[in-house]
Amino acid sequence: MDRTQPEGPSRRHVIGAAAGIAAVPAVGSAAETGRAAQSDASGKVDMTLTVNGQARRAMLDVRTSLLDALREHLDLTGSKKGCDQGQCGACTVHVDGERVLSCLILAVSVQGRRITTIEGLAEAGGRLHPMQQAFIDQDGFQCGYCTPGQILSAIACVNEGHAGSDDEIREYMSGNLCRCAAYPKIVAAIKQARPQMAVSPGTPAKVGQV
Amino acid sequence: MRPFAYDRAETTALAARHPTAQGQTDAKVQFLAGGTTLLDLMKLDVLRPERVVDITPLKARHSGIEVGPDGLRLGGLAAMAAVADHPAVKRDYPAIAEALQLAASPQLRNMATLGGNVLQRTRCPYYRDPSWAACNKRTPGSGCAAIGGFNRQHAVLGVSERCIAQYPGDFAVALAALDAEVELVGPGGARRISILDLHTGSDRPHIEHSLRPGEVIVGFRVPAAPWARRSTYLKIRDRQSYEFAIASAAVALDLDGGVVRHARIGLGGMAYKPWRAKAAEAALVGKPLTEDTATAAARLALEGAVGHGHNDYKVELGRRTVVRALLAASATEV
Amino acid sequence: MAYDASDDPRQLFGRPTPRIDGVAKVTGAARYASDEPVANPAYAYLVTSAVARGRVAGFDLDQARAAPGFIDVLTHENVGGQVKTNPDPAGKPDNTTTLESDKIWHDGQIIAVVLAESFEAARDAAHRVGVRYAAEAPSASFDSPGVQVEAHKPQTPDAKKGDAAGAFEGAPVKVEARYSTPTQHHNPIELFTTTCVWDGPKLTIYEPTQSMWGLKGGLAKQLSLDPKDVRTVSRFVGGAFGSKGSPTGRTAWIALAAKRLNRPVKLIASRDQGFTIATYRAETRQQVKLGATRDGKLVSFFHEGWEVTSRPSGYNVAGVETTARMYACPNIATAVNVVHADRNTPGFMRAPPETPYMFGLESAMDELAYALNMDPVELRRVNDTQTDPVDGRPFSSRSLMPCFDQAAARFGWSRRDPKPGAMRDGDWQVGWGCATACYPSNIGPAAARLSLTPSGKAAIQLAGHEIGTGAYTTVAVTVAHALGLKVEDVTVTMGDSDLPPVPVAGGSNNAASTTNVAYKACQMVRDRVAGAAVKAQDSPFHGADPAALRLQDGLLRGPGNLSEPLDKAVARTGGRLEVYAENIPAGLPPSAAQGLYEGKMVMSRGTGRKDVTAFAFGAHFVEMRVHVRTREARVGRVVSAFAAGTIVNPTTAHSQFMSGAIWGLSAALHEATEIDADAARYVNDNLADYLLPVNADVPPIEIIMVPEKDDRVNPLGVKGIGEIGITGMNAAVANAVFHATGKRIRDLPIRVEHLL
Repeated sequence: MDRTQPEGPSRRHVIGAAAGIAAVPAVGSAAETGRAAQSDASGKVDMTLTVNGQARRAMLDVRTSLLDALREHLDLTGSKKGCDQGQCGACTVHVDGERVLSCLILAVSVQGRRITTIEGLAEAGGRLHPMQQAFIDQDGFQCGYCTPGQILSAIACVNEGHAGSDDEIREYMSGNLCRCAAYPKIVAAIKQARPQMAVSPGTPAKVGQV
Repeated sequence: MRPFAYDRAETTALAARHPTAQGQTDAKVQFLAGGTTLLDLMKLDVLRPERVVDITPLKARHSGIEVGPDGLRLGGLAAMAAVADHPAVKRDYPAIAEALQLAASPQLRNMATLGGNVLQRTRCPYYRDPSWAACNKRTPGSGCAAIGGFNRQHAVLGVSERCIAQYPGDFAVALAALDAEVELVGPGGARRISILDLHTGSDRPHIEHSLRPGEVIVGFRVPAAPWARRSTYLKIRDRQSYEFAIASAAVALDLDGGVVRHARIGLGGMAYKPWRAKAAEAALVGKPLTEDTATAAARLALEGAVGHGHNDYKVELGRRTVVRALLAASATEV
Repeated sequence: MAYDASDDPRQLFGRPTPRIDGVAKVTGAARYASDEPVANPAYAYLVTSAVARGRVAGFDLDQARAAPGFIDVLTHENVGGQVKTNPDPAGKPDNTTTLESDKIWHDGQIIAVVLAESFEAARDAAHRVGVRYAAEAPSASFDSPGVQVEAHKPQTPDAKKGDAAGAFEGAPVKVEARYSTPTQHHNPIELFTTTCVWDGPKLTIYEPTQSMWGLKGGLAKQLSLDPKDVRTVSRFVGGAFGSKGSPTGRTAWIALAAKRLNRPVKLIASRDQGFTIATYRAETRQQVKLGATRDGKLVSFFHEGWEVTSRPSGYNVAGVETTARMYACPNIATAVNVVHADRNTPGFMRAPPETPYMFGLESAMDELAYALNMDPVELRRVNDTQTDPVDGRPFSSRSLMPCFDQAAARFGWSRRDPKPGAMRDGDWQVGWGCATACYPSNIGPAAARLSLTPSGKAAIQLAGHEIGTGAYTTVAVTVAHALGLKVEDVTVTMGDSDLPPVPVAGGSNNAASTTNVAYKACQMVRDRVAGAAVKAQDSPFHGADPAALRLQDGLLRGPGNLSEPLDKAVARTGGRLEVYAENIPAGLPPSAAQGLYEGKMVMSRGTGRKDVTAFAFGAHFVEMRVHVRTREARVGRVVSAFAAGTIVNPTTAHSQFMSGAIWGLSAALHEATEIDADAARYVNDNLADYLLPVNADVPPIEIIMVPEKDDRVNPLGVKGIGEIGITGMNAAVANAVFHATGKRIRDLPIRVEHLL
């Protein structure tokens, strides 16, 4: 069975890295690209990332993870590096409203997508998102290092409909390690914030869309 | 992570123009989908592609979930989370939904695609760290540090003196149990193969699967069958969540008043590749599903298993996992 | 001086207070060391040894130099002699080295530092470094050929009393068993990072640390700098648990790199490197022999331990110092041995001595209870004592049995059928176990600067450490209550070695040390305000006894309901009032303050005091569930009770107790660093394979804080609480697993294969 039906105009993007790649044949030419991003001689790429509603432009190594782009280049250090290999959840951000691990995403690959980090949750006047407030009220953290990832994961957990019971919350929050082991209080925080997210403005749907 | 050229392929036809060798450690060109295996192994300097072809644009066409009279069809670029949460999949193919839901974490399930997931590399620590010289999977002919090393997580089925790596995934184990086929599109057009023929054996550990250069997994087909609804995926692990299996079983039963008409058993967490226990299935047919018949089948399922010290326990644990899964499936209300 | 009963400073505390750094932590505004912005940094990436013993014969650097963005590489060949070796965690000079020479002491030792223009470039270039080794066969652990065993050199003489061997021979009921605990790594979620910036001769180090002044002093020594020229900054620490308590070998090289490049250098070590460039909890083996009368009274106590350490360091934790003091017993003998292997030097990890050694003792106590056919709680009661069995000194306070009784009642212990395997829930075997928790109450010298403005705003500055304990908040609460202000009116500045020193945030001394110095500073402020008031004609307190005045509710108050507004009382002292306080705990010499400024570890320990022995005590009750077929062991529920003197902030104290208890569950069921026996290399050096509990592993946990007043431990009656929670829990779990299955697990962690 062939599912390769006609797929519209051919568009492709080639973004080079540094020296040493000449041996690999490129398919077609970069000139074909619709929104071509070209690397300079040092392997850097001119990228634009949409973070917390703002377009942020930077020249970054093509190898830069979304996490390192945020932390090392955009001064958004709220997202944390705990393992850099998808095993701890500290780098959790939302891309188009879904929780993902920014350490295992190439920054270059999420241009044009809506990225929300911990810095984008509170309202302009400083009013905290109900989940942020709930983490404070329930003492849902200790050292605070995994907390940005926990909070973004917790908001998604509610929005996905996976916060129906304590057991469900525990399971669907298991992708965020907390070495301080604040887990029971994280569950309590999610239960506190859940009803407020459903009714108060500026909550679930807005996250990731700002 | 070595420098690479980044490319995006908007169509399978364009993707097919890239000479990928997904299943080989020394591949110069790699497809990037969810990135959860590829970027991890690139950071560890295990994989060093010179060109990375981002195929996420293919999601637009190849991420559907269709449950029909002929069976289940899943897009190769569907996110694991989307399938795990799909009501019809949960109802009609519970082993599929459960295997996906019990895998990884919510974040990783949002990122990872089905096609990428079945191709996930082994978690063998000696493979994942190039500072270990001996690894036939990374460097053919270099030996196997896991044999004689710390091998508690390693496979007991399908292993060889060249490699005892464990296939780490869950979803492919459920696919194996349910006779699934993999839909491929590549330079030579489209083809379908059995999931059991996707992964290759431990005699040539440096080659992981039978994909041809430029081929993309665009879908999976699970045939409709009377046993699909009475299916389950049991995953045993040291912690409750976010961990790879130390043993798992996907089982499906077609029962006639307590007597087995058909049985399907897939094994994970203990085998070199997604494993199908056909002898055990045959032994159950025509018999009532009881503790005794399940135990006899489990013994057959683990026949030929070989431990290497730390993982010796998997032989007995594997048997018990099969028994528990069979009894659970037989007790399911469908 | 007493004004009324509420002048008892211990009365100040007890109100649950949300963390004052909460908003910073939930908004991403809290700056951890690697979040500090520095201009145009170069990035460092470590190259670590792939062999555990031998020498670096040479490097092949051409490929690394060719990597785009490469700047420089440090090895023993070009910088070897430029740094003095970092001492071991006990402060002894014998420690493993890094770039000082070609010597390789252990797997994962830092052997080169690659510098490049970006993180990506540095990692790439580091991966391209070729190393030629002259490797030798290494010794991995206890059973490896080539290890060297010797008796440890104890801090205080090993406990010995009476004739333990003879009493054991004659005891009517005996238990004799061997236990083992595994290698464990702290694995704080924050990685080991270091950023170094030079400004002329002055070096600033941004590094997560539990010892601002220890890091400052240590680095000054290693780099031969004047300590005045070294500043350490660590405003928030992303988990530490002991791993960031002592300086590690990496920091000096990053400082040196920044000097060579004349540019800030930033290191973010990888997760696997964290297993070998810092410390860990070494594996132990233990032998316990308990002899008792038929009514359960201990007549003989013997506990011997073996601990792995590196080749050069004698580091050991010697938990027998604690276990020998748990129960009344006339005949006591202990011993500790260190086993030198080709490993990195171990170090402090949450309750370093008690976590492994209380597993041995509290498992043996459970075995003894079964041998006696006696309830395990009653066995503890029969042997409870208010006197240190080794030294004969009184405990400053000991509420062990109130903890057992309150937790047992809450848990429903009286419904327990003692027979193993008697309880079942469907396909799950159910078992209940208990154990004693304890931790010595330590306190160190500390200094602080405190100011109070006429408008009633207080600011306190001290080089304290927020590692998750709630340190900012406990200090704020102390100052607010002692000065009669609201917590919001107190600003706390910490995490900078330009501030007055406090001890390492280790040994659970932090709350006692910082609150006692903060309280002392507040008393000095009160004295100044009161002293000025009694001399002033315009004060209602003119001529009064200054000791009778106190600051309360934003007023200066005195006898007879008299009061004066704070602004007036403070303004009279000359406007903004500032004091500098040093607190040297009773029993420590005056030179302790100097030691503090030199970054030395000076501590009044719970054992070894002249007046009392000071411990906090607790009791754990846990329900374990084991699947009848596949044998996974899961925790059903936990009730733990603790009595730890004055509780400064019940909100953060509860979190400390609770997370300690979860660490104990993890020590029993999850955590173990696996070592390749031939290569002496850690194998599961990542967070997917080194198992920490996830949210789904953690059941409902109930924490009971048993009220306890202690007027001997220190003036505020504060005992440390950060570590006690973990102690004994591993034994409680194993005891519950025995009750569920009839199988006694003496080797941790408890895995499926032990129960098949």
